[in-house]
Amino acid sequence: MTPETLDRSTEPAVRTAEIVREFGPFPDAAAVHGVTHDGHLVWAATGTRLVAFDGRDGKTLRTIEHPCDAGTAFDGTHLWQIAESRIDKIDPASGDVLASIPAPGHGADSGLTWAEGSLWVGQYRDRKIHRIDPATGALLRTIESNRFVTGVTWVDGELWHGTWEGDESELRRIDAASGAVLERLAMPAGTGISGLESDGADLFYCGGGGSGKVRAVRRPGVPAKDS
Amino acid sequence: MDALIATAARALAMGDALGALQRVALRDDPPALAQRGIAMAQLGEHARARELLRHAAHAFGSHEPLAQARCVVAEAEVALALRDLAESPRHLAAAVDTLEARGDAANGVHARLIAARRWLLLGRLDDARAALARVDPHGLTPALAAVAELVAAELELRALRVDTARAALARAQAAAARSGVPALMAEAADAQGVLERPAARLQGVAGEQVLRLDEVAACLGSGALVVDACRHGLRRGDEALSLARRPVLFVLVRALGEAWPGDVGREVLIARAFRTRRPDETHRARLRVEIGRLRALAKPFADIDATARGFVLRPNDGRDVAVLAPPIDGDSAALLALLSDGAAWSTSALALALGASQRTVQRALATLEAEARVRAVGRARSRRWLAPSLAGFATILLLPTTLPPA
Repeated sequence: MTPETLDRSTEPAVRTAEIVREFGPFPDAAAVHGVTHDGHLVWAATGTRLVAFDGRDGKTLRTIEHPCDAGTAFDGTHLWQIAESRIDKIDPASGDVLASIPAPGHGADSGLTWAEGSLWVGQYRDRKIHRIDPATGALLRTIESNRFVTGVTWVDGELWHGTWEGDESELRRIDAASGAVLERLAMPAGTGISGLESDGADLFYCGGGGSGKVRAVRRPGVPAKDS
Repeated sequence: MDALIATAARALAMGDALGALQRVALRDDPPALAQRGIAMAQLGEHARARELLRHAAHAFGSHEPLAQARCVVAEAEVALALRDLAESPRHLAAAVDTLEARGDAANGVHARLIAARRWLLLGRLDDARAALARVDPHGLTPALAAVAELVAAELELRALRVDTARAALARAQAAAARSGVPALMAEAADAQGVLERPAARLQGVAGEQVLRLDEVAACLGSGALVVDACRHGLRRGDEALSLARRPVLFVLVRALGEAWPGDVGREVLIARAFRTRRPDETHRARLRVEIGRLRALAKPFADIDATARGFVLRPNDGRDVAVLAPPIDGDSAALLALLSDGAAWSTSALALALGASQRTVQRALATLEAEARVRAVGRARSRRWLAPSLAGFATILLLPTTLPPA
């Protein structure tokens, strides 16, 4: 029996994701590979340029020219960006690369987030999420998923990841210890997720892959904040 | 998409095949296989490219239908570049459906254009026209627009509608320039060259004159009765009588056309049609029979009257007569001229049309095939021969547009 069939029987019912807003596509950007949120701005990795925009009006306020082909994260001070087979630590003010560590998937990485002093890295087709030491890149532990991982985020102690396999794309909350799927939000057909970040409140920002869009999805169970 | 796949995709889209390979060379997951395939195709390693793309399509499987369909399209394009037209178009058609059903319009158009070019190469002009008609010309990328116009131009050239072909070629050139793809620009410029090259010779009692395609079209459209030695038939405007499978009759009508408005002696006609210099009564009888047959077939175009020494061509309504011959002499020129109608010819039909033995034609075809000036489809008895498209599609690979946008 494959792990997939084991897990399917215990998977929770799927609900439909509620898309609140769409941003982009952004000028000269063919795709969105990663997203993060720095408390004020949403950052989108568009291949050769990081684009920061205001989540309220969608206005682009900053750009940093830097290779950015997969996940993006923010640790409170710095941006972290997967580029080829490394992860760059970037000063968001200057755009300078302050350090680089090897990516655990050697370039098969997709999805990045910061939590608990560690970086969490999705390994796309290998259906894994790695926790690594941001200083050295050393692998601390690995969580197995049963879907392609295309974005990772932590919010209020919940680990969520985006999946995109064939025609199906979902937001999934998983048990960080067992990898068991706890909650599923399905994206509408044709809407892929290529990057994921919570704004720390009631929204997820999802990279839309080749659509070049970033979509804001309502986080379930959280009342909408007044804006 | 993961980091290296995305980087490699970017490299491929910019034509940096080696840069892409460097990133995915050691990987065997399906997206990496697909990109290696595309990179190999860009490097001209078509056979290897095909293997990799096929492998990738299989590895994506039905679980990832969109990615699989893109691989199928890329593989079809490589097959086109290899001039391997044997594969059934069923897979490509299924891929088109998948791409369009899932909103990948650009790759859907790309696939349809590949199908259209495949039909053109096979000489199935109606199928090519139908495939092109299903491409919505609005909102195409410059590269796709250039290919669509090239296909349209080829179809117009085949039909000798030179003005509309010229207009399509101009649009193709403009779109190719916008696309910035060097191979496309070269192809559009090449296709333009077809219009300037000698396409046929006009023969008459006064001598001979070399014609470009537009002059051929003008000649055919002049209202004159044209004895077409390129396609072995009679033409007047849109009406045509093919004598390709009646070689003796064609030889006779050509001789009459070349002598027009004069007549041609019986001995001359016998010498040309029956290849004998010492005619006897049986030859004269045969000539009468053949002229009788020709007279019946040519009735809608011209009368063939007997004169004191032979016969004369008298076109209906007092029209002029023109004889169009292939641009150069020789067996292979005549073969190419016959094949230039875009249809698939069997060796026996070609031999019949040329009045040559099958062995002779076979040898000439083998030489032409070695020079890539004709190609064969099918095997053994079902083998058919085709000339390349007039515009001679280069092996342009637009594969970056089949990249997964995901």
